Amino acid sequence: MCDHQSHATHNNPYLPHPARIIRTLPQIQDHQLFQIRFEDEDMARGFAYRPGQFVMLSVIGTGEAPFSISSAPTHPGVIELCVRRIGHVTKALFALPPNALVGIRGPYGNGFPVERLQQNNLLLVAGGLGMAPLRSLLWYALDNRSKFKDVILMYGGRNPDEMLFKYELLNLIDRTDVQCLLTVDRDDSGIWKAHKGVVTMLFDHVELDPNSTYAAVCGPDVMFRFVLNELLERGFSKDRMLMSLERNMQCGVGKCGHCMIGYKYTCLDGPIFTYWDAINLQEMI
Amino acid sequence: MKMVILPKESLPEFIGHLCPFGELHVPVKVSEKSYAFGRVNDLSDIELNYTRTILPLKKYVFKPVDVMFNFCAATGYETTVEETDAKRVIFGVHPCDIHGLKILDLVFGGKYVDGYYSARRNKAAIVGMDCIPDEFCFCRSTGTDFVDTGFDLFLSDIGASYLVRVGTSLGDDMIRAADSLLREVQEQDRQAYKRRSTQRRESFQTEVQLQELPEIMDLEYDSEVWRRVGDKCLSCGTCSMVCPTCYCYAVFDELDLAGGSGRRQRRWDSCLFKDYALVAGGHNFRPDRDSRIKNRYFHKQRGFVSQHGRPSCVGCGRCKVYCLVGIDIVEVIKELRSEIRV
Amino acid sequence: MAKPKVGTYGLTGCAGDQLVIINCEDELLEIAGALDIKSFSMAASGGDEDCPLDIVFVEGTVVQPEDERVLRWLRERAELLVAIGTCAVWGGLPAMKNEMRPEELRMSVYGPEGNTFQCVSPRPLSSFVKVDLAIPGCPVEKEQLLQGVASLLHGDLPQLPTYAVCTDCKMAEYPCLLVEQGWLCLGPITEAGCKARCPGYGRPCIGCRGPVQDANIASEVQVLQEKGFTWLDIQNRLWTFAAPAESLKIDFLKEGANA
Repeated sequence: MCDHQSHATHNNPYLPHPARIIRTLPQIQDHQLFQIRFEDEDMARGFAYRPGQFVMLSVIGTGEAPFSISSAPTHPGVIELCVRRIGHVTKALFALPPNALVGIRGPYGNGFPVERLQQNNLLLVAGGLGMAPLRSLLWYALDNRSKFKDVILMYGGRNPDEMLFKYELLNLIDRTDVQCLLTVDRDDSGIWKAHKGVVTMLFDHVELDPNSTYAAVCGPDVMFRFVLNELLERGFSKDRMLMSLERNMQCGVGKCGHCMIGYKYTCLDGPIFTYWDAINLQEMI
Repeated sequence: MKMVILPKESLPEFIGHLCPFGELHVPVKVSEKSYAFGRVNDLSDIELNYTRTILPLKKYVFKPVDVMFNFCAATGYETTVEETDAKRVIFGVHPCDIHGLKILDLVFGGKYVDGYYSARRNKAAIVGMDCIPDEFCFCRSTGTDFVDTGFDLFLSDIGASYLVRVGTSLGDDMIRAADSLLREVQEQDRQAYKRRSTQRRESFQTEVQLQELPEIMDLEYDSEVWRRVGDKCLSCGTCSMVCPTCYCYAVFDELDLAGGSGRRQRRWDSCLFKDYALVAGGHNFRPDRDSRIKNRYFHKQRGFVSQHGRPSCVGCGRCKVYCLVGIDIVEVIKELRSEIRV
Repeated sequence: MAKPKVGTYGLTGCAGDQLVIINCEDELLEIAGALDIKSFSMAASGGDEDCPLDIVFVEGTVVQPEDERVLRWLRERAELLVAIGTCAVWGGLPAMKNEMRPEELRMSVYGPEGNTFQCVSPRPLSSFVKVDLAIPGCPVEKEQLLQGVASLLHGDLPQLPTYAVCTDCKMAEYPCLLVEQGWLCLGPITEAGCKARCPGYGRPCIGCRGPVQDANIASEVQVLQEKGFTWLDIQNRLWTFAAPAESLKIDFLKEGANA
């Protein structure tokens, strides 16, 4: 067992690649969209990923954390991460100066099974920061429009000031090739022209064929439960209900153990799971 | 498999012949009841009559704390200079610990190869040695009391001699270097080996049934056992540290005073620690001790079976020996199987 | 970038934590280069006692009303307050007799002459003011202190260990003194960071770094009782360094033990 070869410096899966934050776009309170470009031009152009995958981002001197990719692989050159300032790394990330050097490695995780989704209707249901991974799938589908049947987005926020990608999504309402349903729980300002009420209420506005539709759901726990129930009632198979899960990921490559759920690694087998996976693993939701 | 006979009186000289193959690490006594693998100045300090060391071999291939790479504000992240860990010959390794390494190979290999692990692993020659189980050993139940791969040489005590199995080309080089000390296997050796096999088998005092355990664990997901064990567990991490197949680690950055530069490191971690499944924002997926200890058992006995077709427990008994509050894996499994009640 | 203005102060305590800073011989120049040290009572007199501070390091416990006044004054002056040492973090040795009333304790130690000074029940700094970072230890570990300074300079808080001494003890492959020798070791419930120094010298952990988060005191007490230790042995050891810690308020256990 001695083939004296060291892998430590070659293809080290833990080593972040240098990248620059080329733009930050404030979204809502404590949420920003970071546009990041690898320093290496080949990497910047060739960085291939699937919607739903994530990267590990390092803030030099602070640490590393996982972030789902919000941009679509159909827009190469720059990756976008929609980040909420919530922990150690994100706090430092928000404090970085323009054009700061960061480290990125990935993409990791399974991502959405886009080949399987093609030739089907696509229903995306998002709440809060759940829009971050779904935005990648949304644009992927719109950029490959002919490969999908109907594309429906349902996105709910607490109020108009807490809608991520608000103007981008409002612009979709006019489009004829996507049904974009946006709702807010309440609107004190009275300016909100789209729907009001919880996201499940939007189901009254759509026709869904459970046999030719995949649903991708991402959002807070409470929303998950209501949406999944709604889908089950409409006859969706548990295999056609997809969700993105969050866990403590430290390595991203199935070694460090932290994101283990039952016998699945969120970082390798997920973060996209079917509802069947989820109920089959007691701890999952 | 190639086999030769080494007379016991030639063992010190034989070990001497292994030294050119790497830095020799052997079991030594570190206290009245404890042993550890380490270096010796004097070959007479080797303690072959040991049952288990405090730490398994993972300490050599997956260090408790390890620098992964350096970083600095101007240039980002850079791997440290080529790993210079010496070649090692680890002598006197019991079958359970060899199986432990084979399980770590599965984890640190795969789609993403962990270079820190594989570099050291490739530089470690393993000379195994058989053993007689004590009351804590249950490696027969886990199928890890015997090895047929994972070693360069393996010595079985057959009375006046050792039967030496040669597992690799490197092992064969070692045998050739000590050629003058060895002889061919003869009829009395064959008989002695079989007697040894029987003796080992009959020495087991602890047995636990692992078949259908994954299903039983699913059935007993809400068992009282977890609450009882969770109440006792200190979350001190001892069982994880001493386990040959606990591989979890935590990643942390260490900064230099000068600012901006430092090192990314990893350190052995345990799923029993409160913040193990904590995510940014404060949600903890396993806030209670019972859920954490249940997760540990599930991963070893249920999850690993699904992933790799076998449990990751090798029956070495360390978690039981070193548990300060006497949590006994064998007892827990028997309780889950309703073979005993506590 | 301007160097952060820093002060180091001691309340009632032995000044051992300040001494650790002074003992950082190899790093002292670097520390002095990175920080604008406005006041360091143990190292130099004549500091600037009025300027606002970016970081203040405070060791010792609040034992007298004067300590509390100084502490509140420091809190007002400083952006970040770092408690250094177990006295500051947990109350430390001065708090070990907190189950007695302060007047009673003063009388038993000093007699009637003790009336000349006032005293209060010693409590950790965090029970009086907001503490931004707590680095325990008796004294603090040099490495943790330097890491703390490095992180603060970087604008972060350091990630201190949240696991027990046992973990470090086993990582270092020390034989278990509780299992093997049956000694009264607090390793399982004490916060790591000392690299299990005492067990490394063959001595049990006396809990000088205070309780680890989520310490299972009930189970520790039970196992010590099973090893033959009396309630008094256990209580004395538990309350030596961190008696005010919520997790060590164990009257219910005591009642159980006496029952």
